[in-house]
Amino acid sequence: MRRLRVLGRRLSLFVLLLLTAPALCAQSDTPILSGALAFLGSSTGGANSYQPLLEPVLSVPIGDHWLIEGRAEIQGFIARENFTSGPYTGQFFASFDYGQLDYIANAHLTVSVGRYLTPFNIYNERFPVWIANLEDTPIIYPIGTRTSGSSNGGMVRGVAVSRDKYVVNYTAYFSAGTTAENLQAGRSVGGRAGIFLPLAGVEVGASYQRLLQNGHYNNAGAYLVWQPPQIPLDVRAEYAHSPGGQGYWLEAAYKLGKSRDTDTWLSRLQPVARVQQFFKGTPTPGDLLPAHDVNQYDFGLNYYLPHYVRLNASYGRQFTTGGNANIWNFGITYRFLFPAWPGGHQ
Amino acid sequence: MIRTFFKALAVVAFLACTLTVTVRAQKGSATTKSAGSDPGEQAFRHNCGRCHNAPESLSPREVKAVVRQMRVRAMLTQKDEQLILKYLAP
Repeated sequence: MRRLRVLGRRLSLFVLLLLTAPALCAQSDTPILSGALAFLGSSTGGANSYQPLLEPVLSVPIGDHWLIEGRAEIQGFIARENFTSGPYTGQFFASFDYGQLDYIANAHLTVSVGRYLTPFNIYNERFPVWIANLEDTPIIYPIGTRTSGSSNGGMVRGVAVSRDKYVVNYTAYFSAGTTAENLQAGRSVGGRAGIFLPLAGVEVGASYQRLLQNGHYNNAGAYLVWQPPQIPLDVRAEYAHSPGGQGYWLEAAYKLGKSRDTDTWLSRLQPVARVQQFFKGTPTPGDLLPAHDVNQYDFGLNYYLPHYVRLNASYGRQFTTGGNANIWNFGITYRFLFPAWPGGHQ
Repeated sequence: MIRTFFKALAVVAFLACTLTVTVRAQKGSATTKSAGSDPGEQAFRHNCGRCHNAPESLSPREVKAVVRQMRVRAMLTQKDEQLILKYLAP
């Protein structure tokens, strides 16, 4: 009952923001409501689960310098009572992923305050469910994103240097510790810097975070994105280290077309492969990392239908000293985007 | 045994991808549309294309909010923001 009340309050806040948005930007631009509706299924070691998911994102530009943006997540989890046996039961959860006010001060600096996605490496910020090539988050995802993947506080970010051959970007943030339901965040300070080489289609970067709670320790990471301009291949990789363990993932996805412009039924098919390794360190309380070393190999197939609908299926094999497992995933994702208010500037 | 098989399979798959990249890249842009034909298109590919596909359609009303959000999220430069705005809503 309490959870429903909290959910109601969060939704009311979101709707209020939605309704007041047009007034805020009456003389400016139309706010948009975007996000995804998805139905995901998974079978891990014989334990089946199903997850209906709604992730609405609200964006309200105000004038030339301001932006209000927020994302909520309403997710169901339907599974058997005893994992592999018993009747199916379901629970619904709601969370507030981010709600931030951005001020674009100049060409090099944007200041954000509020609740924002923790910018440790790139997976958390850049690959929501409708963009990620594989359904499961990487094993090392909990490193640097404690406690909820979101932070409450302030962040500065922007482009430090921009040249034709390279662009250097940066992010620095501070988060206060919060334990309030649906608004959890770890007390931390950190930053990320990256360099993008447009001609080669390569971006590399590194992240650092100091968690200022639960014993105060450091997390560090690095990432790589490579998109050869001539062909529709996407290579993504991350490495992360914490006292609780370290590991990496390397993912390649290839659309079966001659180039990124090709649009045929075949070019909408995208095979994906991902390799992951995790090496257990000294366990820290609540680090959400596996209890053993893990090797995992995933192979997936995505199909991009018209109107922002995507079908995906994947098979993975996980090897751990705690027992090996097959991981099957399937899902359908619908990406939506429309004006949040009628009228506005044409 | 199974673990060795999967490791071998992963290595073969990665090598196959790399080989494909190399061969295709050597063929060069003669067989593909140049990404540099329009500065706005180029800016879109370099920045937005790193994470997601091009949108099928965006109305002029929607474009500014989308690009503003990406200015912050993807850390677009001011110049790229303007180029992408013009590209998506000419």
